[in-house]
Formats: sequence, structure tokens, C-alpha cells
Amino acid sequence: MGAATVSGLVVGAGYALVALGIVLIYKATRQFNFAQGEIGTVATFVAWMLLERDLGWPISGVIAVLTGVAMGLAIERFIVRPLARSPQVTVLVATAGVALLAIALQIIIGEAKLRAITPMLSGDNFSVFGAVVKPQDLMIIAGLAVTGVVLVLFFRSPVGTALLATSQEPTAARIAGIDINQMSMLVWGVAALFGALAGLLFAPIDAFTPGFMTQRRLIPGFTAAVIGGITSLPGAVVGGFAIGLIESYFGHLLGETIRGADGLGVLAALLAVLVIRPQGLLGKAA
Amino acid sequence: MATDLDITHPMEAVETDLGGPPHGGWTARAIAGVVFGGGFLLLIGVVSDLDASRIGYAFIFAIVGISMRVLLGLLGQISLGHQAFVGIGAFMAGFVVTELELDFAMAVPAAALSGAAAALILGAAALRIGGLLLALVTLTFGAVAERTIFLLRQFTGGGSGLPAPRPPWAATDTTYAYVCLAFLVVVLFIDWRFVSTKAGRAVQAVRDSERVAASMGISVVKYKLLAFMLSGFLAGLAGGLLAFNIGTVQAAPFNFFLALEFVLMTVVGGLQYRSGVVVGSMFFALLDRYFGNIYDWFLRQLDKVPGIRGVADFLRDVIADPGLLVPAVGAGLLILTLISFPGGIGQQLRPIVSWFRGGRFDLSLIHADTSARGGGEDVRP
Repeated sequence: MGAATVSGLVVGAGYALVALGIVLIYKATRQFNFAQGEIGTVATFVAWMLLERDLGWPISGVIAVLTGVAMGLAIERFIVRPLARSPQVTVLVATAGVALLAIALQIIIGEAKLRAITPMLSGDNFSVFGAVVKPQDLMIIAGLAVTGVVLVLFFRSPVGTALLATSQEPTAARIAGIDINQMSMLVWGVAALFGALAGLLFAPIDAFTPGFMTQRRLIPGFTAAVIGGITSLPGAVVGGFAIGLIESYFGHLLGETIRGADGLGVLAALLAVLVIRPQGLLGKAA
Repeated sequence: MATDLDITHPMEAVETDLGGPPHGGWTARAIAGVVFGGGFLLLIGVVSDLDASRIGYAFIFAIVGISMRVLLGLLGQISLGHQAFVGIGAFMAGFVVTELELDFAMAVPAAALSGAAAALILGAAALRIGGLLLALVTLTFGAVAERTIFLLRQFTGGGSGLPAPRPPWAATDTTYAYVCLAFLVVVLFIDWRFVSTKAGRAVQAVRDSERVAASMGISVVKYKLLAFMLSGFLAGLAGGLLAFNIGTVQAAPFNFFLALEFVLMTVVGGLQYRSGVVVGSMFFALLDRYFGNIYDWFLRQLDKVPGIRGVADFLRDVIADPGLLVPAVGAGLLILTLISFPGGIGQQLRPIVSWFRGGRFDLSLIHADTSARGGGEDVRP
């Protein structure tokens, strides 16, 4: 049980990162980014290719994250902005198309096989509450902590305030002189940064494949965003940990009797929150 | 009133004045319809068993496309787990014929009802709330179906799959393709009628604005649920037909990528146009099945061109499995459709469709912007 808790928290921190990106974009533009996971996979592929050429994690990681950010900005400029006046569902479909295209290209270029990426931190495993913790696991927690601090500081800055204003009342914000397009770019760039980070932090935990973030991490990440209250950033973090723990406990307790028990736990949690508290754990009632 | 109409919509006024095709026009349309339709029916009869089975598969995809259209086009909600509804229908059909030892006539309705029941349960949780939560709930449900429900030994026979033998009166691939076509025609009729019923109009009002619909006394949740259940019903029906098309139902094909294929074939087909959705769905189903052949043919043609012999070998080397290209082609078409051709294939077919309905063969309809039309089903209002 201790082991399940620790691994649930580690994976949950990663889900929180995915959820933060989704919430940030939704909060600012009321749009769902289905490609949030795929940005992470693309960054992972870039990092893996550079690491194969012995460039080391610092350089590879930075270039990979920048690639992810570039991808986010490209999606914003060429897909989302032309569709700005379309219904939500159109942007969701379009970003799903981007994810599918990215996965297809990864398979064509890199083949659909399992790969291992070098961990960022090497060193001996140690034990916490009877759970074996790898140094790499700490990186996810650290990544989330840094992201959280940066976000708190960001929303206190003038740009952060402008973003909040845009989120609450786009028309009034534009009248007050805030450039809506710039805000949209900013949000997609930052969200893509979180997505890329999440991919790089998840990849060393186990093997990665083309589309691994979309196939395995996007659903829990999305669910975390929704159960936290889709516009609440602290909610995304709480939701991330909650989903990580639920997955881990369901897998630990029921995994031997029911196949895919972890996924069942995610669906059960999602339906329970929608029925009991539709606005999400930390969301405000509409 | 009439003068007002002339000023704001002069084109419309002129068109109504014509009042149908010129003398003899209906005869020409009837002949064209019989030649085209009859030729298609004959084609199914003369092609090989494998081709007939693939055409039947394409008809089933068209039914899924109509199911997606009801949800995405009429209600404006999206399901990212539609493969689960189709899969539940397929397993239910297999279960009814193999485990319960009943026949085809029981299996297909059971499949359709199981799809509707699944939609009712998920929709009851997700559709009470505004926004696109249904997308996430169906996405999660699809994953659970793939990893848990479809692997339940008692229901689906675990990994080995459920056999679904065809009834004796439709044992060959050719007759079964005709059966699927007959079901497609019925489904198209249902969709066509549903759009103009009170319920259908209520659903479209909800899509355009939940608030306005509610203020007109439309029960928003009830009609959202109704549309989703109809969509689930049609998806389950398609699954039931699919079970007998493939013969053995296994979990593997009902994965997340199939759900994305369902979305993109419907959108590329053009949500606003029933004909477009049918053509788009069949196009993607056949592309999936024939892409390997087309690719091989293309490479053989390249081989014949002197001087560039290396190019075909290079392509063979780089893309060993051409099936991998299909999702890339589909995703590219999807994005292109959304950004540049929101009317999809249906918009390209408009001159033909409008001619058959008695209008002129007017190529400008391809570019005409219909998005401002009242009650339009365009994804971009």
C-alpha cells in the first residue's frame, strides 16, 4: 500500500503537469487542446535523438522543450487562430487531428517499437515507506514544484493579470488595450512547455513508443483537469494527484481480478465527480 | 414580404420562380439515377468475394458516419470513444448468436439496443452539464472498453474472440454486402426523417444555443440525451452488422485510433451533408483496405519510368508498411477540411445532388457559403 501511494504520487505529479497545460489553455481561451499529450511525445523523440548523439541531458532537454514550445505556437498560429470563431468542438477535432498526424509521422519515421531513454538522474534507488524510489521519480515532483512556483509568480505579474482579464472578459480586455492574439500565443507557448516537460519526465519511467503520451497519459491528465474544476490551476494539481493515487490503488487492489482496473478507477472517479460535484473539486459553480 | 425577399435574397427568389427542372428534366434525372444506382448494385454482384466483403465493410462505416453526424452535426457534441459503442454492438451480436444461440434477426436489434443503453448511461452523467464533457467521458469509456469490457471472458470470450456466423440466407460476401446496403438505406431514411421531426428540430435548436432552446421550453438535457442515444443506437447497429461482416469479433480493432478515424471520416465527409458523410465514410473504409494495393500500383508505375528507377526502391525501403500512411493522409485531410473546406466532401458533391433534386447543375455551389443559412449544420456558424 505504501508502494502504491508513492508511485501514485509520482505518476500523479506528471498528470498534474499535463492537466496544468490543459487548464491553462481552457482558462484563457475556452478551448480543449487534444494535442497536449502529443507535444510531450514529440519533445521526447527529439530528446531521444539528441541523446543518441551523446549530447547529454542539459542540451537535449532544452532543445526538446523548445521544439515542444515551437509545436504549440505552430498549432496556435496555423490551426487554432484560423478557427477562433468556430465552436469549441471544431478546435477539439482539429487538435485531435494534429495529435493523430504527429503519431502517424512518428510511426513512419521512428517505427512503432518500444524505446528506452536514458534517465536524467542516475544514482542508487532508495526506499520510502517500503516503496522503491528511483532518483528519476524525484525529477517529476521537482518539475511540478518548479512549474507551480513559476505559475504563482506569473499570475502576480502584469502579464499574468492581463491574461486573467482576458480569460474573464475577452471583449473588455481588448478595449483595455490587451492584445488577445498575443495572450493566446503566450498561453499556448506556456502550455506546450508544460506538455513537453511532462513528456520528458514521463519517458524515462518506462519505455516510450510513438504516441505514448496520448495513449497512456492524456486521458488521466484530461480527467485530472476536469475533476479539479476545468478552470482551476490548483484544482489541476489536486486532480493530478487524486487520479494518480486512484489509478495506483485500483491497480494495486483490483489489478489481479480485473484487467485494466486502473482505467476503470479513472472512469469511476470521473463519473462520480460529474454526478456529485459537476463543477469539479476546486471549481466554482457556474 | 415578397419585395423584401427580392432585395435581401435575390438569388433565392429567382430560383423558386423556375419551379423545378425544364421539360423532360425529370426523365433525364431518373435515367441517370437508375443507371448510376443499378450500375453500383451490379458492381457489388460481379466483384470478387474479398471486394464484396470490403464494400460491405464500407457500408457499415457509412452507418457509423451517420451515427457520428447525428451527434456532431445535429447536436454539436462529440464522442471520442465511438469505437466502444460499435464494439459493444459487435460483441453483443456475437454473444447473441454464439452464446444464446439465437439468430441474426435477434442479434442486430440487440446490438443496436446495447449501443443505445451504453449511450444512455454515459450521457446521463455527462450531458447534464454544459460544454464538451461528453468528449472526455466517451474517451475514457473507450479506453475502459478496450482494456476491460472487451476482455471479459464471460461476455467476449477473452482474447480468442466470439464467432458470428452469417445467417444461411446471407452466407456469401455478396449477399451480405446487399444486406448492409439495405440497412444503410434504412439508416439514411431514419436520419432524413429525424432531422425534420419535432425532436430533430429541438436537437438542432439545442446545438445552436442551449439558452435560447431552454427559453423556448425545450428540455435541453432530454433532447441531448435523445440525440446521443440515437447515435449510440446506430453505432451499435453498425457494430452488429460488422460482427457478421468479419465473422469473428475480437477486441483489437476497436481501439482509440478507430475512434479518431470515425471522427475524421465524418468531418472530411462534411457534417452538413448526408451524402458527403456517406461518401467520406466509405472513402476512408476503402482507403484503409485498398491503400496497400494503390501504393503497390503506384510504385510499379514509377518503376516503368526510365531514369528514376531508384525512387521506387527508396520508397519501398523507407515505407515498408504503406498502411502506416493512411492515418497521416486522414489527419492531413481533416485539418485541411476544417481550415479551408468546412463543407467537406458534401460541399463538393452539391452540384450533383442539387441536380438530382431538380435544380440546375451549378458548379458555383461548390464555393457557395451556406454557413449563414438558418438552422445550418455547418461546424462553423
